[in-house]
Amino acid sequence: MSMSSQTAGATPRLHLSKDVVQVIYRLLAAGLLCVVLAVVTDSFLSTNNILNVLRQASLLFFLASGLTLVILSGGLDLSVGANIGLSACLAATVIKATGSPVLGTLAGLGSGTLVGVCNGLMVAKLRIPSFIATYGMLWVLHGLTYYYMGGETIHGFPPGFRQIGSGYFLGIPIPVYLMLGFLAAGTFFAQRTVWGQQIYAIGANPVAARLCGIPVDRRLILVYAFSGAMAGVASLVFLARLNSAEGDIGEALTLPAVAAVLIGGASLFGGVGTVFGTFVGALILTLVLNGMNLLAVNASWQPLVTGVIVVLAVWLDMIGRRRT
Amino acid sequence: MRAAVKSPPAPEVVEEKPDLGTPLLELKGISKQFPGVKALDDVSFAIWPGEVHMLLGENGAGKSSLMKCLCGAYQADTGAYFHMGEKVEIRTPTDAKKLGIAVIFQEFSLVPYLDVAQNIFLGREFKSKIPGLLDRRRLYAEAQKVLDRIGLEVDPRTKVHTLGVAQQQMVEIAKALSQDASILVMDEPTAALSDRETERLFAVMRQLQAKGTAIVYISHRMAEVFALGDRITVLRDGKNVGHAVPGETSPDQLVRMMVGRTVDMSYPRNFRAPGDVVLELKDISATTGIADINLVVRAGEIVGLCGLVGSGRTEVARAVFGADAITSGEVRVFGRIKQGGPDVAATEGIALIPESRKTEGLALIRTVSDNLAVAGLPKLFPNHLFSPGRARRSAEALIKRLRIATPSPNQSVGLLSGGNQQKVVIGKWLAAGARLFIFDEPTRGIDVGAKSEIFALIDQLVAEGAAVLMISSEQAEIVHVCDRAYVMRGRRIVGELSRSELSEENIVRMGMHDE
Amino acid sequence: MSDHALSAAQPRPRLPAIPGVAIVLVALALVFAAISPNFLSTGNLSNILVQSVILLLLAMPMTLIIMTEGLDLSMGAVLTLASLVLALTVVSTQSLVLGLAGAVGVGLAFGFVNGWLVSSLRIPPFVATLGTLGVAQGLALIVSDGQSVVGIPRFLRQVYSGETAGIPNPILIGAAFYALFHVLLYHTKFGVYIRALGGNRDALTLAGVKWQRMLVAVYMLGGAMAGVAALLLTARINAGHPTAAIGMEFDAIAAVALGGTSFERGNGWIFGTLLGVLTVGVLRNGLNLMAVPSSAQVAATGALVIVALFLDGLRSRKP
Repeated sequence: MSMSSQTAGATPRLHLSKDVVQVIYRLLAAGLLCVVLAVVTDSFLSTNNILNVLRQASLLFFLASGLTLVILSGGLDLSVGANIGLSACLAATVIKATGSPVLGTLAGLGSGTLVGVCNGLMVAKLRIPSFIATYGMLWVLHGLTYYYMGGETIHGFPPGFRQIGSGYFLGIPIPVYLMLGFLAAGTFFAQRTVWGQQIYAIGANPVAARLCGIPVDRRLILVYAFSGAMAGVASLVFLARLNSAEGDIGEALTLPAVAAVLIGGASLFGGVGTVFGTFVGALILTLVLNGMNLLAVNASWQPLVTGVIVVLAVWLDMIGRRRT
Repeated sequence: MRAAVKSPPAPEVVEEKPDLGTPLLELKGISKQFPGVKALDDVSFAIWPGEVHMLLGENGAGKSSLMKCLCGAYQADTGAYFHMGEKVEIRTPTDAKKLGIAVIFQEFSLVPYLDVAQNIFLGREFKSKIPGLLDRRRLYAEAQKVLDRIGLEVDPRTKVHTLGVAQQQMVEIAKALSQDASILVMDEPTAALSDRETERLFAVMRQLQAKGTAIVYISHRMAEVFALGDRITVLRDGKNVGHAVPGETSPDQLVRMMVGRTVDMSYPRNFRAPGDVVLELKDISATTGIADINLVVRAGEIVGLCGLVGSGRTEVARAVFGADAITSGEVRVFGRIKQGGPDVAATEGIALIPESRKTEGLALIRTVSDNLAVAGLPKLFPNHLFSPGRARRSAEALIKRLRIATPSPNQSVGLLSGGNQQKVVIGKWLAAGARLFIFDEPTRGIDVGAKSEIFALIDQLVAEGAAVLMISSEQAEIVHVCDRAYVMRGRRIVGELSRSELSEENIVRMGMHDE
Repeated sequence: MSDHALSAAQPRPRLPAIPGVAIVLVALALVFAAISPNFLSTGNLSNILVQSVILLLLAMPMTLIIMTEGLDLSMGAVLTLASLVLALTVVSTQSLVLGLAGAVGVGLAFGFVNGWLVSSLRIPPFVATLGTLGVAQGLALIVSDGQSVVGIPRFLRQVYSGETAGIPNPILIGAAFYALFHVLLYHTKFGVYIRALGGNRDALTLAGVKWQRMLVAVYMLGGAMAGVAALLLTARINAGHPTAAIGMEFDAIAAVALGGTSFERGNGWIFGTLLGVLTVGVLRNGLNLMAVPSSAQVAATGALVIVALFLDGLRSRKP
């Protein structure tokens, strides 16, 4: 057949997948932002500020990396911010009660994961649309946390525990190492495991994925559990950094986390995106917010800018889809 | 010396263009192309006032596409419309409505939580004297009139979602009738109706006819064609293959026109003696409505499953694969009882090549390589670690073996042609090591060359000992390719045809209603 | 044609005449009456009604939005912003009309943007309104500079605390808007098309209806009602506050879901939403009387919604 001869005769050439090209564009954007900020502000290039940006980006990335998997599977998890609040407060209580940071860490990770599993069950088994299920969960968690804390603050944790949030190693904040670790682990999971590939397939077409023999329900529960566990991780780093737990600790982070994932090139319609892209997305968003800060823009502008970015990112993604 | 005497025109010409004056609506040279298929190819056709014009054809012959062009749901690529001899445009549903065209759809165009009256007059609400409000009294009074006319004894205040299928179909009919259309198009209106409702509908049709309404009627039922039709148009492969008048033709003649002498295209098959039983269904009933299904497929065999669209063929395939729940009976695969969903089916070596490639078979935004790997992931990577290089090599081997025309394994699968997309769907199951293949309309929307390639591939599969169950609406394919075939009607299997009994006429007769 | 016997299928049995939410409402009321003797006092019952009005003003347009298979997460933030605009305008101009116009104007603007994002750009409603939520929240912080707006004049407070003909003003306002929404949903084209937008958009297209504009109008109605609610909210808290109504959209969604309006197929009713609002009101009030902190009340409402959604899912999955 003439058609097949074309295939056989095609010369192999350097191939950059669309994902890679997208990430390169975003890296360039991040670089450009750095250059602009370095020019227009005096303090941007100071070591302190750079480390500050990296640390802030890392907190955002923990949350956003778990959320990336959810969005890859074609869903959304709006409960991550509230999950941080509950997990941080539980972890704080356990550390205070037992004096053991290890038990506290387990409590934070455990509660985060449990919340995620509940989300997964609602989405996969009860077939509640993910944005509604996790939105309901947001308020359940929010209420539980406030009720549990009763307006109190828990503070003062062992120095060893505080290291994971505010410590340094070789002059670089510990959370940055953690971020790189989770970046590697998340990328490996998504790109190099069968489960990761199946999650992409589910997001791209859940019906076809089911008819390919992928156990869709189990993978979805796993994805939401991961997202919850990453909220647990974020809660611990937050706790260690702030050295105090309050009910509203992660509340303002949901929208930025969604924004970071969408800036990173993941599609809200599922099946497209990478954990590395989200990493770059978290960097870009942090740079924007940092720049506004350095330029003495009132912090009140932050949710507004983040909201506009979310809508813009989704819109650009939809334009891109319509073209292909 | 011969010309002067024989002046009257030949009788065939009279039949082609009956002398009934100007047609109410005339379509000339309508073509409609979809990616990979020519749904309508230069179709011309005219309707006169007061006639019932039967539109016949096999599944996929282009009847529905023609209807959708008529009502403005599709825009024809080429061709022209003439209303009472004047050239008109039909580009939107509103254009069609202005010309007095109303359509009774097979898929319901009803809003579930509006009541019967609101549905009948959707988009044509009655305004009250108080500005902005609706005249509900008039709405229900008018709706009651229409319902009385078709004899539907339902309160016009009933919400449509509480009605049964037959009643919903009647509401759909009422909606079209209420438009006082001069041209009424009906797509198998009686498919869901009982005898009583059907008779009532026919009575209404006769009234309309007397008033001069033109009716285009699509049906699969021969009895209706002869009882109601004034003229018959037969479509095949998107082409108008002929007109007929009921008094001058017979059901057999029409069946032959519909089936046609298909383009001389033979699919090479090497028939062999079948091996062990691979798939056995015993008295299967499922939530989707299929009942008492018994069938057997052996290794080395291609078994056809035919019948009209909606006769339950796809539902059988999905029940075997575990995509829909079975309520009774047992499925045996390779001798063992199979339970569980599609994930179990896939690990047991069953492959489903679904009817709708784009929505159920492929992730269109992902690459050829991704799609080829997706079903075989657990088999290709038993230690759960995915290797892009290995997936790529596996994909390249499959691309070569199946001769998939793609510039690279990294091409988005959505950019391939229909035939190549279908090869990708088959390829993913080869990667998964499937031994029982269920093909649901494997050649829909695929060009002729790719069709024979796909059949060669299926033949190769059975030669290697796989078992194949194949659903197809194209009788010619079943006849050429299958060892034997089951025929379905009304969600049951109504007969089995052995190789020697397999003929298009037999399939159509068994699968059609009546007789 | 005998194989078409199935067409004689009976119409499915109708839902029981008493909706589930009414049973929940009565049961809750009985429980609270048994626990707290104060609950059934006239003063407290009137209190529940008055306090429910703001929620009702938000939940009614939310019902219509959800019936179109949409969602508006920005409503609480828009209400907050509108309340601030109203407070600032009234404090500086001493004009109630200008203040209300400003609040409704803000609401309409956000409603238009939401509707435009959803109908023209086809952005899924939950993300579109999540984005505008951030924008409204940010603007609220910016116009207020993070501070409360105080010095609300007495005539504005009077709107909430005053009475007309012996009936508290909020109840009159709530009743008037309830009547308006009832007429809108059951006696106008708009109401018919809202059900069709959620139930079967193709039917509207085939009927030649330009439904995109309708969709924008539904979201604009939601914004306008947030503006009206801002009047009562500002009068009630006697201030403009940059986080005054954050999260109130959740109570609205909760009331709608409890009331039995479905997130699919355009199935909804405004009376159910009224019952849902009262249920949330009774729950909050009863828990208050039992001295349960408001945070636990939020959790209880959230749990109630998930249960309601689960039941909705069960109902809609039945063939």
